[in-house]
Amino acid sequence: MLPRVLSLGVRRGPLTRRPGTLRGGFSLDWEEKLSEIKKKIQSVLPGTSLHPLYDSSHLPPDHSDVVIVGGGVLGLSVAYWLKKLEKQRGALRVLVVERDLTYSQASSALSLGGIHQQFSLPENIHLSLFSASFLRNINEHLAVVDAPPLDLQFNPLGYLWLASEKDAAAMENNVKVQRQEGAKVCLMSPDQLRNKFPWINTEGVALASYGMEDEGWFDPWCLLQGLRRKVQSMGVLFCQGEVTRESELVKMDNSVEYQPVECALVINAAGAWSAQIAALAGIGKGPPDTLQGTKLPVEPRKRYVYVWHCPQGPGLESPLVADTSGTYFRREGLGSNYLGGRSPTEEEEPDPENLEVDHDFFQDKVWPHLAQRVPAFETLKVQNAWAGYYDYNTFDQNGVVGPHPLVVNMFFATGFSGHGLQQAPGVGRAVAEMILEGRFQTINLDSFLFSRFYLGEKIQEDNII
Amino acid sequence: MLKIILPTIMMLPTMWLSKTHMMWINTMTCSLLISIFTLMMLYLPNNSCNLSLNFFSDPLTSPLLMLTAWLLPLMILATQQHLHNNSAPRKKLYISMLVFLQISLIMTFSATELILFYILFETTLIPTLIIITRWGYQPERLNAGSYFLFYTLAGSLPLLITLLHYFSSLGSLNILTMTINTKEMMLSWTNNIMWLGCMMAFMVKMPLYGLHLWLPKAHVEAPIAGSMVLAAILLKLGSYGMMRVTPMLNPLTEKMSYPFIVLSLWGMVMTSSICLRQADLKSLIAYSSVSHMALVILAILIQTPWSLTGAMILMIAHGLTSSLLFCLANSNYERVHSRTMMFTRGLQALFPLLALWWLLANLTNLALPPTINLMGELLTILASFSWSNFTIMFTGFNMLITALYSLHMFTSTQRGPLTYSTSNVKPLFTRENTLMLMHMAPILLLTLNPKTIMCLTP
Repeated sequence: MLPRVLSLGVRRGPLTRRPGTLRGGFSLDWEEKLSEIKKKIQSVLPGTSLHPLYDSSHLPPDHSDVVIVGGGVLGLSVAYWLKKLEKQRGALRVLVVERDLTYSQASSALSLGGIHQQFSLPENIHLSLFSASFLRNINEHLAVVDAPPLDLQFNPLGYLWLASEKDAAAMENNVKVQRQEGAKVCLMSPDQLRNKFPWINTEGVALASYGMEDEGWFDPWCLLQGLRRKVQSMGVLFCQGEVTRESELVKMDNSVEYQPVECALVINAAGAWSAQIAALAGIGKGPPDTLQGTKLPVEPRKRYVYVWHCPQGPGLESPLVADTSGTYFRREGLGSNYLGGRSPTEEEEPDPENLEVDHDFFQDKVWPHLAQRVPAFETLKVQNAWAGYYDYNTFDQNGVVGPHPLVVNMFFATGFSGHGLQQAPGVGRAVAEMILEGRFQTINLDSFLFSRFYLGEKIQEDNII
Repeated sequence: MLKIILPTIMMLPTMWLSKTHMMWINTMTCSLLISIFTLMMLYLPNNSCNLSLNFFSDPLTSPLLMLTAWLLPLMILATQQHLHNNSAPRKKLYISMLVFLQISLIMTFSATELILFYILFETTLIPTLIIITRWGYQPERLNAGSYFLFYTLAGSLPLLITLLHYFSSLGSLNILTMTINTKEMMLSWTNNIMWLGCMMAFMVKMPLYGLHLWLPKAHVEAPIAGSMVLAAILLKLGSYGMMRVTPMLNPLTEKMSYPFIVLSLWGMVMTSSICLRQADLKSLIAYSSVSHMALVILAILIQTPWSLTGAMILMIAHGLTSSLLFCLANSNYERVHSRTMMFTRGLQALFPLLALWWLLANLTNLALPPTINLMGELLTILASFSWSNFTIMFTGFNMLITALYSLHMFTSTQRGPLTYSTSNVKPLFTRENTLMLMHMAPILLLTLNPKTIMCLTP
């Protein structure tokens, strides 16, 4: 008890004097003082807070049935589907722990926001299709009473993947699989490409696949806020804190206060930092080449996004173009601005220590390819740039979903290596079904389980940017 | 009676002075020996023992005393696990609360004088409140404790006033002389309010349907020993009190009890229906307690010999069954750290012995013949049918819904596919198996000889 009181003395309590107020005088922020005093009285009355001496309403509860570590789009999606699919209202108590409620480093907020179904794995295609139909009907799914509807700003302009001679056969195969699973994709020859998109230079392009429906880009911040609003209205508790020590309980650090939260299940949706959470649970502590010693192979990788202005650029009908070299760009807004970037190769991987942007990378590695593919881009002017993390799965760049075989009450929903945002609704539903029903029902994600890291079964996805 | 009360009081120094590693063993042994003493009371000639001015035993009190004494070792067995991380003085404090509660309960059930009964009735609130608010699991326990305390206090303050008035008008409130020392209560406003004053305290404690709000909260938020003692004994305090006080209130009871009979009939059906929709296991068991107790209220208010017998049997049977169900829910909770039913499913595949205890508990909960639960319900339902034919609709419907939710509880926790996240929980410890057996064995043995608890000559 005593250390907690001492630490309270260090941080600013509700009744310390602020500069500018006289002792006993009438200060200008009378309303705020009054509400603080009311809050203090309420916390002392029995039946509300736990500690009679100080206000602990910002701390998370002592118990929660499910704790979701990470409040990004994947964590919120799992929370949403858990509350949606529970059998009786209020049956599950869910707590979402997010370290940074401004989402300044979260991959969800810094994402490009693209969604496409042009994957080589059927599961990925299904996930994106599910998400596309979720986003289409987002105002039915995420409706909250008395709140304005969400405007996702979905631009359904599609993705255009370009393939060179050596990749053309693989692309044709992939498109066949995609069409089988229900994605609406078409293949285009260089002539057709030039016809449809006159601004493309088709040199080196043998084949292109163009998504015609359910593909495009949207505003990820809007999805995040919509999910957050809906999930809070469904009764999920939010807490700002960081998960530190873990035995079977989850402890959180919040300035110097910590609160142990006892829970039955933990869902690791921490994105780029998932490996730390997994290590806290003891995953990976064991001799190598055993199931206990298999770590979660998700690490943060920094990716740059550049915004440039080019008045002679492709125009309104340009899709998200993914070039043969790995460079990609899309239109942003109506003022001839474009967003784009390129995934660096293994050797050029930037240090994920911070989110500083390397502008030379654009000059040396991105611009030449852009200018080569779209001649109009020779005269572009970079306006802005940012960097974000991919929760990169070093094993096979596909997500990890489902429970861990040994630590049976930790579930994963992470490691999507850049396509997490577009698969978030589907993955959230899959995890919720796994928890509530015991198996995947809508989309079968058995190949995405953790055990594949130990068994060595890679599910390689080709179309990753 | 002193041979039971003094050893219970001396359990306090025994426990405080014992070494830490002997603490649980000493308390268990002491409490088991004390419960053997109470067994002797059940086999007295005439089933009564009147050796003292202050304490006595009676066919009405002896089964309840037996139940109280039997429950203390069970409570001590059940709390060993969750108190594991506490320091030794904390553990001793917890057991002291339990023993203090036990002392007041034993004295309550054996008090001769109604004022002594009242004082001890109120005394039982204090250790229960401390157990719920200090050792409960969640922040909601403060709310639960407040509800529990204030509901019971508000109900029992009129009881004090009424009892004092009776004392001044009758001269003595001794239970043994009450049948000959009463005045007839004719229908008048004052007498109505006196009747209400006497009965409301016990109605709140039982609880009656409209006043039952404290029970789901208190049962769910209390630690296991708190839940056990609440469900098994403290609810029966209400019914015991009612049965002691009603001889003073004739013939007013026939008129005044009518709305409460209707409330308890309706409440039976309502709370059983709520059980069907519960997602929280302890909450389900708490509402099932309300439903069973509504049947007991019905039985006591009808005031026929069969119904009073039925009420007695129901009290004992429900005490043991409810306590067993709470122990089972607690064994689930200690492994999974969540009370939701959907996280612990299909356990029969993992723990067959636990499935046996669950099955027996749920079968006795739904009043399977030939258990004593059924004996109690049968007598009550027959008596209420004679009282008014129409009640069979409610009581019959209630039996159906009770069967439904008990089986729902069983199938959702034991049958079906195993949840993934419970696949590495530890099986039942010997201590827990003993606990379940010690709950179940009295039920099964009493099935063979129910006349010990039948209270045939009150």
